[in-house]
Parts: sequence; structure tokens; C-alpha cells
Amino acid sequence: MRGGVVPPALLFLALGLALAFSPRRAWGPSLLALLSAVGAGAFVHVPQTWLEGAFFGCWVSVIATAACVHLRRALKTWAAVALSLNAAVWASVVVSLSGSKLDLLKAVPCVLILLPAAWVVSRYASIPVKVVSSWVIAVAVLAATLQLLPVTPGYLPDHLE
Amino acid sequence: MGTGLPGGFESGFIHPFSGIDHVLAMVSVGLWGAFLGRPLIYVLPVIFPAMMVAGAIMGMFAVPLPPVEVGIALSVLVLGGCIALSVRAPVWAACVVVAIFAVFHGYAHGKELPSAADPVAYSVGFVLATGLLHVSGICLGLLNDLPRGIVVTRSLGGIIAVMGVWFLYRAIGT
Repeated sequence: MRGGVVPPALLFLALGLALAFSPRRAWGPSLLALLSAVGAGAFVHVPQTWLEGAFFGCWVSVIATAACVHLRRALKTWAAVALSLNAAVWASVVVSLSGSKLDLLKAVPCVLILLPAAWVVSRYASIPVKVVSSWVIAVAVLAATLQLLPVTPGYLPDHLE
Repeated sequence: MGTGLPGGFESGFIHPFSGIDHVLAMVSVGLWGAFLGRPLIYVLPVIFPAMMVAGAIMGMFAVPLPPVEVGIALSVLVLGGCIALSVRAPVWAACVVVAIFAVFHGYAHGKELPSAADPVAYSVGFVLATGLLHVSGICLGLLNDLPRGIVVTRSLGGIIAVMGVWFLYRAIGT
């Protein structure tokens, strides 16, 4: 198993951490864009042949989104909205291929890590947020690499099945 | 569930705690970082998972590496020794030491990762557990602010280093 709630949850977690470094005025449009795109994406049907590419895109998005915490300048509103739309698209695609709409619903609240993370950042203590983001990146890199392995991963049936 | 072992979040989270050598090395990273202060108090816990991933990828692709158990034992010995002797390494040197040892720890995890039934949840578990062990090391480092606290933390480092000698003896002996 590699689908379910974990990939979209990590993506929304990364988004929440990234948004913590954006100005508060960007939060509203970003969260609105996220919810609208997730709502629309829940009804999109994606061909099963896109499975590998969808997961790879999802992990690359997690890495890129989480890495935004290291940007020197705060995220602009348009960039925050773009990140939200990107997260919503990849999460919806992955869930549509390997999960249920309920997984998407369960994953969305992960973006609310934005609130404690922004509180920490506003206290000039962005380090814990950057450390957590490095953990998220580590998980995504491992998951993306696993797809490139020349072995049968544990989540796929082997020749005996 | 395919070829997979029943490996999910729980197995991944428990894995770093399953060997006392892993636990001591990761707590030592946080404790040494706390000893060295800024910026290493947060740079070391960021470098460790990053390089651990590099090691895990090497493990997944079965890239040959010197005996992993020896590397892990050495990490306990060296990091414990650095705390006991209160070694004030320059930033680059501390980063290199921790990065090299992280590769060995990651290698051990990475070899098992592909066979996990839910490798993503497994990764989340072991990265989270590793991070929490670092944080516990940093919290232990807060003892340094207390009167005679440094004596306690340096003594802890000494005990860790002695255990590292034992792990090394066992690793070389087998």
C-alpha cells in the first residue's frame, strides 16, 4: 500500500509549513484556492496509467513545497496561491488513483499546521519549523526513490501472487 | 499485500528504538549540538535526516559500504567522546562527522525499506522517531544551564562513549 491518506497529508503538511512564512493576507486566498481545487479535484477521474507519474509528481511537489521554508523572502500572495493549487491538484490526482474521497477529507486538516507554525515563526523561532520541514523532505525523497528501485516493492504483488 | 512485511508507521517508528546503539547515537547528535550551541544546535538535526536519506538510498540500491555495524558503533563512540571531552569542533567539522555517521544509520534503515508493506508510512515513522531522539538529546543539553549540569552531560557522554567501545568490540568480533 502506498496510497491512502499519507501522501496528501504530507503534501498539505508541507503546504502549511510553507504558508507559515507568507504574510497573513495570503492565507485567505491560498486556503480558498486549496479548498476549491480539492473540492473540484475530488470528482476528477484520472486514467490508471498515470499512477507512477502521479505519485512521482506528488513527492516532487512535497519536496518543492517544504523547501519553500528556506526562501530568503516571504512568499508573495500569488506564489502562496500557486502552491495551494499545485498541492490540491497532486493530492486529488493521487487520491483518485489510489485512495478514497474520505482520504482527501482526512488529509486537508493537515494544512492547519500553518497556525502553530506561523505562531512559532512570528516569535523569531523559525528553526523548529525548518527542522520539521527537513523531516517531510526526507520522507518524500525516500518515497520518490522507492519508485525508481529495480526490485518489487512491498506494496506490489510478486510473481507468486 | 504483495511481498511486503507488515511494515507501516508503527514498525518504522519502533525501528530506531529497537537498537540501543541507534538510540544513543541519535540522542548524542542532539546533545552534542546543544553543547556546541548556535548554529549547530539546529544544523545537526537538519543534516542528520538529510544524510540519513542519502544512506537509505545507498542501502536500497545495495551500494557497497564498509561494515555498517562498525560505522554505527563508531558513531556512538565518537559522538559520546566529543560530548565527554567537550570538543568544540568548527561548524564544518561537526557537520562532516555527523553526516558520515548518518549515512551508516540510514543505510541500515534503507535496506529494509523496500520490503515494507507501506514504505511511506514506515519512512514517516522512522524519520519522526529519529527527530524525536534528536530533540530529546537537545533537551538533555538544557542541563548545561544548571549549576554542575555540564558535569552531568559530560558524564553521560562518557557513558555513551564506553558503550560505543563495547558496540565496536562486538561489531568487530562478529
